[in-house]
Amino acid sequence: MSATAAITAVLYREAKVRATNLTFLFWDLFHPLAYLLLFGVGVNAALGLQLPLPGLDYHAFFLAGVLSMASFGIAANTAWSFFLDRDNGIFYEMLTYPMRRAEYLAAKVLFNLGVAVAQAAITVGFAWTLLGVQPRLAGVPLLVAAVVVGTAGWFYFYAIFALRIRRNDVFNTVTSVFYFLFLFASSMFYPLEPLPAVFRAVARANPITWQTDALRYATIGLGEPRTVALEAMGFLAFTAVSFWFAVRSLQREH
Amino acid sequence: MSEYALEVEGLVKEFHRRDQPPLRAVDGLSFRVRRGCIFGLLGPNGAGKTTTLKILTTLVRPTAGRAAVMGYDVLHQPLAVRRRIAVVLQETAVDLFLSVRDNLLSYVRFHGLDRYEARRRTARALEQFHLLDAAGSKVMDLSGGLRRRVQVAKVFLVDTPVVFLDEFSTGMDPILKREVMDRLRQEAARGRTIVLTTQILSEAEELCDDILILHRGRPVARGDLNTLKLLSKDVYELSLTFDALPAGLREELEQLAPVRLTIHNNSVEIALRAEESRVLELASALARRAQLLHLEVRGASLEDIFLELTRPTAGTVPEVPSV
Repeated sequence: MSATAAITAVLYREAKVRATNLTFLFWDLFHPLAYLLLFGVGVNAALGLQLPLPGLDYHAFFLAGVLSMASFGIAANTAWSFFLDRDNGIFYEMLTYPMRRAEYLAAKVLFNLGVAVAQAAITVGFAWTLLGVQPRLAGVPLLVAAVVVGTAGWFYFYAIFALRIRRNDVFNTVTSVFYFLFLFASSMFYPLEPLPAVFRAVARANPITWQTDALRYATIGLGEPRTVALEAMGFLAFTAVSFWFAVRSLQREH
Repeated sequence: MSEYALEVEGLVKEFHRRDQPPLRAVDGLSFRVRRGCIFGLLGPNGAGKTTTLKILTTLVRPTAGRAAVMGYDVLHQPLAVRRRIAVVLQETAVDLFLSVRDNLLSYVRFHGLDRYEARRRTARALEQFHLLDAAGSKVMDLSGGLRRRVQVAKVFLVDTPVVFLDEFSTGMDPILKREVMDRLRQEAARGRTIVLTTQILSEAEELCDDILILHRGRPVARGDLNTLKLLSKDVYELSLTFDALPAGLREELEQLAPVRLTIHNNSVEIALRAEESRVLELASALARRAQLLHLEVRGASLEDIFLELTRPTAGTVPEVPSV
């Protein structure tokens, strides 16, 4: 079987799982959108005027946060399905199928990138039509790149834990801690400037802040280009390191 | 091309554990398996069967030694090996979120068959494995037995020359088990090599034409059933059913140091190493103790041989006649 056929087979399986399980569709495509439409609208109405966002409403600010939350969420969901596959044995059976480990991992990432791009298009589309947030046309290439690299980075990061942790309860605890730590100690929900120095320092070291800032620059042009470029390079390094550890973890399965 | 489906030489697998000495699960194992035969790897828990199977299916790297499947080295040519194998793992490996039909279709796609052939073979497998009624159901909604059925059905969808089955009959009802065993024989007759691990010795006795018994990662006996039985030619099995079990019988029989002794209600099964005349004398003596409803004297079964070879107090390994 050729590499293309192997990758197609993985994509076919992933697509079948998603297409025949509506709950997956909700989590992959609409969960972050629900955040934008419910949480975003609520915060905008209640606190919007008090936020230090000159010329911007909270919807516009939060759109980038929702997009990075989508990357993070898709990766977390995939890691969970990875863990489940390993727990019930199908993961090991798949490792005996006629394909390379790298092809398996590449196809999984490819599928998730497709989901992430579709999810981003839906979210931006709704934000534009329902909330009047018009993204910058010049920022679209950066937006796509930040969604693609962001999803790949978080996928590899989560794969490390899905492949190494053996117990269900430990895995659930780790992912819950990650959820709180990465999402709330970041620039996803609020601007960092008014926050205490310690909080700001933690958030500045958080890769999801780097991704969110790139997406925010892409969507509404907020942020210093030099800082965004540095953060983007930081995220690329984070992705490369996560990839290396994920491949090592997959090889450890030997 | 090699005439052997499997070639294993000096295979070693050590697992390193924190704060404990390394565990040597496979310890210098060597064997070869001819193409088209049904080969059984037998042994008690921890004997190294599953580890050996995982090495042969490219899931685990050996610590030392060499293993090849259809002439391809498992360590250096893993993709070539995977193209030639189908595997049923000990765990019930199924896609829980897919329907039974999609599980089968997905499996076939992974093995490179086109859409038409995938559908044709899936339809046939659904019928052969009595899965038509459940074809559209999600596997997560099925019982353990049905999940196992889906898992085993998969290896009959493809034409790989070697099939590995690790404790394949776990959770299977006897009727399906019989059907699968018949199918495995047919596949072997078509030239496929079947490699199975099992602890159900009657299964191996009935199915395998070549058996390797492992104990603590090492081979203790090898051959077909008749060859293995030569290892216990002085072991006999006595089955007796009394109308009422004579008092103190268990204690008396235990003094004979049997290979195996089972007493259930009024029935006694004893396997012991003794001359044939002594066994007949014993049968006669027991028959005088109470009214006998049933008496049967047999040669050793595979189970007796297995117990002899793998019991913790087993002494020297018997001479294994060359096969």
